[in-house]
Amino acid sequence: MPSTGKLRVIRRVNLLISAALLAIATISPAFAGWGMPDPITDQAKRIQDLWVFTLIIALAVFFAVEGALLYAIIRYRKRGDELPKQTHGSTALEIVWTSIPVLIVIALFSYSFIVLRDVEKKAPEDALSVDVTGFQFSWEFVYSLNDLGTNTDPNADGQISIIGTAAQEPTLVIPVGEPVEFRLKSNDVIHAFYVPNFHYKLDVVPGRDNRFVITANETGEFTGSVRSCAG
Amino acid sequence: MTSIAIPRPAYAERPWILDWLMTVDHKKLGILYLYTTMFFFAVGGILALLVRTQLAVADNTFVNNDAYNQIFTMHASAMLFLFIIPVWAGFGNYIVPLQIGAADMAFPRINALSFWLIPPAGLLMFSGFLFGGAADAGWTAYSPLARGSGVGLDLWIISVIILGVSSTIGAANFMVTMFRMRAPGMTMFRMPIFCWTMLVTAVLQLLATPVLASALAMLYIDRNFGGSFFDPNGGGNAILWQNIFWFYSHPAVYIMILPGMGIISEVLPVFARKPLFGYKAFVFATMGIGGLGFSVWAHHMFTTGAVLKPWFGFMTFMIGVPTGVKMFNWLGTLWRGSITFEAPMLFALGFLSMFLIGGINGTFSAAVPVDFAIHDTYFVVAHIHYVLFGGAVFAVFAGLYYWFPKIWGRRLDERLARIHFALQFIGFNLAFFPMHLLGLDGMPRRIATYSESSGWETLNLISTIGAFLIGVAMIPFIINVVMAFLRPKDQPNDPWEANTLEWWTTSPPPVHNFDSLPEVHSERPLWDLRHGKTAH
Ligand code: HEM
Ligand SMILES: [Cu+2]
Repeated sequence: MPSTGKLRVIRRVNLLISAALLAIATISPAFAGWGMPDPITDQAKRIQDLWVFTLIIALAVFFAVEGALLYAIIRYRKRGDELPKQTHGSTALEIVWTSIPVLIVIALFSYSFIVLRDVEKKAPEDALSVDVTGFQFSWEFVYSLNDLGTNTDPNADGQISIIGTAAQEPTLVIPVGEPVEFRLKSNDVIHAFYVPNFHYKLDVVPGRDNRFVITANETGEFTGSVRSCAG
Repeated sequence: MTSIAIPRPAYAERPWILDWLMTVDHKKLGILYLYTTMFFFAVGGILALLVRTQLAVADNTFVNNDAYNQIFTMHASAMLFLFIIPVWAGFGNYIVPLQIGAADMAFPRINALSFWLIPPAGLLMFSGFLFGGAADAGWTAYSPLARGSGVGLDLWIISVIILGVSSTIGAANFMVTMFRMRAPGMTMFRMPIFCWTMLVTAVLQLLATPVLASALAMLYIDRNFGGSFFDPNGGGNAILWQNIFWFYSHPAVYIMILPGMGIISEVLPVFARKPLFGYKAFVFATMGIGGLGFSVWAHHMFTTGAVLKPWFGFMTFMIGVPTGVKMFNWLGTLWRGSITFEAPMLFALGFLSMFLIGGINGTFSAAVPVDFAIHDTYFVVAHIHYVLFGGAVFAVFAGLYYWFPKIWGRRLDERLARIHFALQFIGFNLAFFPMHLLGLDGMPRRIATYSESSGWETLNLISTIGAFLIGVAMIPFIINVVMAFLRPKDQPNDPWEANTLEWWTTSPPPVHNFDSLPEVHSERPLWDLRHGKTAH
């Protein structure tokens, strides 16, 4: 009887779905930031929003397609010697399922375009800037106290330089709530400047003037990483 | 009837070993390709297990930094250049002439040359270990960094150039074979879908591989003859390498996956007992992927700040469209079918479920700001393995189980195959799913170790356990193959009740392939014979 077969399938699919939900509920504490570390800059917040948006669409596609696949595997397994109807395709269906991904692409692209424009906004004229030089295998940070307004000795040029070594990473302190521009320089190979809590990285390319801006919104100590074989 | 002059090997005259060394028979060359590439799969797999052993726990000292760089570089290089790209040439060699009803490839001697370039190139690449260290700059050999690394990198460059020559002349051979040597009645749109994917792959190889050769030649000049193509201090450009390299290497991703999609598209219709849903749409989607593949290379370079990000992000999203069309067509093939679950089908379904994840997690990198976060982290390592292992390797096994009776005349045992599949499927997900979470949390790829304070230890340990489970999964497979070889050849022409011409001839086929050919009226000539042309 086909109807009981269908019922059994539905029950099985239900079972699978509840198992999946249970699994998600058990591990979800690990997903507090939807898998991403705490965003500590305004820009990172925007990127995290985009990540969550993309993730939701991704999960929807994932469950829809894997669900259809599981359904087909269970429902259409061979039951007898009768040949299935030989359908060769359907232009209407092809048009429909070409349009679905096109719509998803437009949505994803539009939102990521907006976020891209926002996180790449140029720094205001008076923003604090930090010159970063990458070398193998650490960083040098140079910034001016005049920019910060904390230069107490008017005769000094107020340049502060912090040089790290391979063993001792340099520590850079930046103010909260105002834009800071990082200007990246390298004299040897390509490095990448990456702080996971910024959700951002930018390559430090010999011969290129790469810059980015962040506005920190949280205090704390965060580790970045030195990457010399970016790829 | 068309007839084509083909040098026929003079058999029975030569001793066994010379026969294999001097053969120009596409079937023997195909078998040599398969043995060689599966050997390098094993080597690359062992290197992967070394990588995973080193990363199993924090602050591990199992191998040092230098050794680690060589190991992961050689793992990736072996898997890509010595396994996955040539393994398709192996299947293609054996299967394409049979599927189109030809007696051999168009240029049998060039075919032999294509194959015989591979073993020496492989030895050359690995010989670095004897000469002070193998290549260690990653399979991407990013310059300027790679300008300074040891002699192993020169060997690597020469090896990859030779492998490129092999696949370029191989590509020309496949194209001519498919354009000129199809059986009477087999129009282009009646050609089996595996052939179509091999054809598009060949076009990509012909257009992209020479570009890689040019990049490699420049790097060699920079390193050995005082050039400065990639050195801004000498007037060169530090980003140039990446542009040229990825102009090849993104299309190369499709070189690595399209034939796998072709195999899946042969297997699904046979075991669902329905034609491939939307055959033509599938062909156009394959061409679409191939074409778009040339317009997205800079999605590997968003963080360089040197590329037009919105354009490359958009084009990368667009590749999701033809890929989505394929996914729906595969589902449409299963829909209302009459499905059985023999080994080739298990691996094909494994491909569908895992490649889907590789398609989905790739779109995150197309959302440019998200790529800023995940670029160069373990998220990307997860992505490439869902595509290349969950996709390509599952397809390799689908193809091996499917064509084993044709190539070797014996059938592999179904029970062992199911154990193999289950272990590989679980191990694969254990090994690679946690990498998404590690990458999001900021674990960079290509690091030899990480500190305990990072909090990455548990997930890494799970990943390592999964990797070893994949290794264990190979045991039932190897036992299966060895036991099959101990049995006599007993397979009929068409053990699966399949659709395409390779199943018309004996298993294995005679030297000249076919004594006769049936009429070809559709892309499923054998189905037509079994069920009559009306059963369409
Ligand atoms: C047992 C199975 C495998 C395991 C456990 C494994 C593991 C790994 C790991 C841990 C890495 C990252 C190394 C690092 O960044 O430090 C890696 C890199 C890589 N693997 Fe695998 N792998 C396996 C199979 C494969 C296969 C079958 C392919 C291709 C056909 C492949 C292609 C690559 C590539 C291209 C990279 C380089 C990624 C990069 O550019 O950084 N792997 N593998
Ligand atoms: Cu790419």
